[in-house]
Amino acid sequence: MNYTTALTTCTYCGCGCNFYLEVLDGKVIGTIPCKTSPTNEGKLCIKGWNVHEFVQNPKRLTKPLIRKNGQLLEADWEEALDFTASKLKEIAGKDGPDSLAFLASAKLSNEENYIYQKFARAGVGTNNIDHCARL
Amino acid sequence: MIETVKAKAKELLESGNIQGFLGLIEKNGHIAPHLFTDPVELQALNLGDREKAGDARYPLTKYLIQIAKAHPEHIFGILVRGCDERSLKTLYNWNQLDPNQVVPLGFACPEELAEACECLQPYPDACEAGEKVSGRSFEGVAKLDAMERGERFDYWNEQFSKCIKCYGCRDVCPVCFCNECSLASDDLIQTKTFPPETPLFHLVRAVHMAGRCVDCGLCEQACPVGIPLRTLYKKIYAIMDSEFDYQMGYSEEKSPLNLL
Amino acid sequence: MTNSVAEIENAGCIFIIGSNTSSSHPLVATRIYRAKEKGAKVIVADPRQIHVADIADLAVQQNLGTDVALLNAVMKVILDNNWHDEAFIRDRTEGFEAFKELIDGVSVEDASALTGISAEKIEKMAEIYAKADTASILYCMGITQHTTGVDNVKTLANLAMLTGNVGRESTGVNPLRGQNNVQGACDMGGLPNVFSGYQQVIDQASHEKMAKAWDSGKFPREVGLTIPEMITGIEQGTVKGLYVLGENPIVSDPDSNHVAKALEKIDFLVVQDIFLTPTAELAHVVLPGACFAEKDGTFTNTERRVMRVRKAVDPPGEARQDWEIIQELASRFGYPLHYESPKAIMEEIAAVTPSYGGISYERLEGEGLQWPCPDPEHSGTVYLHKDKFARGRGLFHPIEFKPPAESTDADYPLWLTTGRIFSQYHTGTMTRNSPTLSSEYPENFLEMNPEDARELGLRQGDSARIASRRGEITARTQVTERLKKGTVFVPFHYVESSVNKLTNPAMDPVAKIPEYKVCAVKIQKDTQSA
Repeated sequence: MNYTTALTTCTYCGCGCNFYLEVLDGKVIGTIPCKTSPTNEGKLCIKGWNVHEFVQNPKRLTKPLIRKNGQLLEADWEEALDFTASKLKEIAGKDGPDSLAFLASAKLSNEENYIYQKFARAGVGTNNIDHCARL
Repeated sequence: MIETVKAKAKELLESGNIQGFLGLIEKNGHIAPHLFTDPVELQALNLGDREKAGDARYPLTKYLIQIAKAHPEHIFGILVRGCDERSLKTLYNWNQLDPNQVVPLGFACPEELAEACECLQPYPDACEAGEKVSGRSFEGVAKLDAMERGERFDYWNEQFSKCIKCYGCRDVCPVCFCNECSLASDDLIQTKTFPPETPLFHLVRAVHMAGRCVDCGLCEQACPVGIPLRTLYKKIYAIMDSEFDYQMGYSEEKSPLNLL
Repeated sequence: MTNSVAEIENAGCIFIIGSNTSSSHPLVATRIYRAKEKGAKVIVADPRQIHVADIADLAVQQNLGTDVALLNAVMKVILDNNWHDEAFIRDRTEGFEAFKELIDGVSVEDASALTGISAEKIEKMAEIYAKADTASILYCMGITQHTTGVDNVKTLANLAMLTGNVGRESTGVNPLRGQNNVQGACDMGGLPNVFSGYQQVIDQASHEKMAKAWDSGKFPREVGLTIPEMITGIEQGTVKGLYVLGENPIVSDPDSNHVAKALEKIDFLVVQDIFLTPTAELAHVVLPGACFAEKDGTFTNTERRVMRVRKAVDPPGEARQDWEIIQELASRFGYPLHYESPKAIMEEIAAVTPSYGGISYERLEGEGLQWPCPDPEHSGTVYLHKDKFARGRGLFHPIEFKPPAESTDADYPLWLTTGRIFSQYHTGTMTRNSPTLSSEYPENFLEMNPEDARELGLRQGDSARIASRRGEITARTQVTERLKKGTVFVPFHYVESSVNKLTNPAMDPVAKIPEYKVCAVKIQKDTQSA
């Protein structure tokens, strides 16, 4: 028996509501708005109240996929990472770093966006990095 | 008072009479619902008071439904105020929880909270900690009753028209457990609309809560647009009391409406 | 936002323009309803009669793309009546004379004709806003997603400065950010022109600082490509590889047929996401990442508040933490990274980003912190521009009204605008995979005025064909009085009926934001599926 609550921040709009994700025996079972949050004071919208629902959707991606003969097929991580890194390297080597472009994400965390732009800039050598701030 | 609660919860856990104690804990600078299984953690137990009394109340009995169902082999202690005890009683009545699986640990609410809640009985029957203070009457309902009918009708329509259809009133409610919600029934209201149908959306829920609501007030606290839902449901209490001599949350049996 | 969300509830006047607040930012709307309860005056200007307009003291429905005309006329009324704040203008701003000259030439009657709002209402708007002790402007994509997006924002800033409604509590010009961490993605340098904390890539000192911190000076001192420029680059063959992290440009970008064609053509496309989105379906490699419930980290909300994200469960199957995937790719690319945790990354962010200098996981327990928070002793910043603006004095910009890029004509006689609905989010990747949310509005719809519907022979629930100069979709008709005659609305969440096949990719010349909010369409009954 394992029931836990993890205090976190909503992944939908920019309000930044705080809630607890209720986890029972490894499964997310509910969302509890945080009463003492400075942003939402124990309230949520319909999206927030149901934010746990998509987490364990069976359609979630669970394995890397690589396109072979036109089809996306399951692959292991080693192959997917090696293939991706070598393709990026090959393009940057042949046509220069600015022939690569990077889309960062308003969905991902600050830490993830930070190392992503660091990879693009310091690793690859391009400022071609943007995200859908305008959309 | 909190030390008494901690001591009793510790005793329950250490004796092996319960396998988990559902209460509130201080963590991450906030107060969170928490299932205590290790007595050591009880040092951080909180009654739901952060800046003022009861500002971090949560519907613990609602959370217990899922936990207890998943673990029928275990017995659970649970922290309860007067309203939580009333919700337990209702959940037993509706076979959502088995009283043999639940050991409530009751404590009384302070004056300040009893006043703010206009609570008829701000303490559980089985009260093991805290000073019991006397109940209050429904001043808010009386104020609305004093309005002219037309004025009152406009007041409620104006309140309901703010609704953003978050369903928080339902989702936070400790006694909302139906598999099929009447708010999703096309026979009762126009579904798939925004904003929801006014005033029907809220009246359908209000009627559905007749015989069930335990006046915990969590719905009103969860409402993002400040609809005075607690006052609405207190009015339902008053009607059930005067017309059916049934006291929602206090009477031992199911409401007479449920026999229809 | 210049100010904080909680301050809104104490404003004397709240002016909402181009924000469907109660649908798209419900927990900001909470403060509007509270303010109203406390006696605030609420003004709503939106082409649709949005839900929050139901409680407004004054609600107007301007024609699409006429915000500058409306706001300039409001300012004309303010100046004519001497309702402006002379002391504020004198002490805190510059450029007033040139601005005033432009406004002096504005005619309220002309504006009334352009916007479709009576002169009387324009005067009333001016009076309510200017006479309030504290007035707070809330805006969203209804202001920015125009070819005149920057003009619109500058005009709002003019209005706030004219009346001294900046740099004080419960005032300000407050954009509501649409995505949970769009603020953070910008703060972290997910933009072609800046490193984290808006340090310019073209600036010599910033360049040197980051090159040293990162032990690599490979990146150029030139601004990189924006998304629309990347798409053009792919078409022209100059961009050959694209790495997409948790975005779905095929549904979210304007003229999406065109974006799809470009992505089909690219040499190498990597998509890292949690679902197989339409964009991922085109990829050469798809990498399964973790969703917010599965990771530790931070998000920064619309009021610049940095808050913790905490892991509740493990990612499904073999899916991995996104930061680990990026780190692995960087290392295999030849730039080894060795962070142990998101916490370690935040330590580096604080070290190289002045506005995040005082932020650490320890300090984020409780309420979080609002940047600028330059050092560990700083308690964060509730509202900006308190004693002076970032550039010193606030600059008035004389802005002339410019019409939208596209106009209606005999072939495309109706105006189309787009937006979100209460139960859906962006391209629907998450919300449409949530049973409760997708049951509210399972399929796309077209909102139109009863008169337009009658003229087109469309009834409630009828399938309609909507075509612009770029594409065509079908959607079910919803007849509603909330739209005025001549303007229709379609939400953008539904890939099978993607309204961005219709929208105009014409961009604001400065912000490069597409004009999602205005295009011309024709509509007819869909006889095939009706």
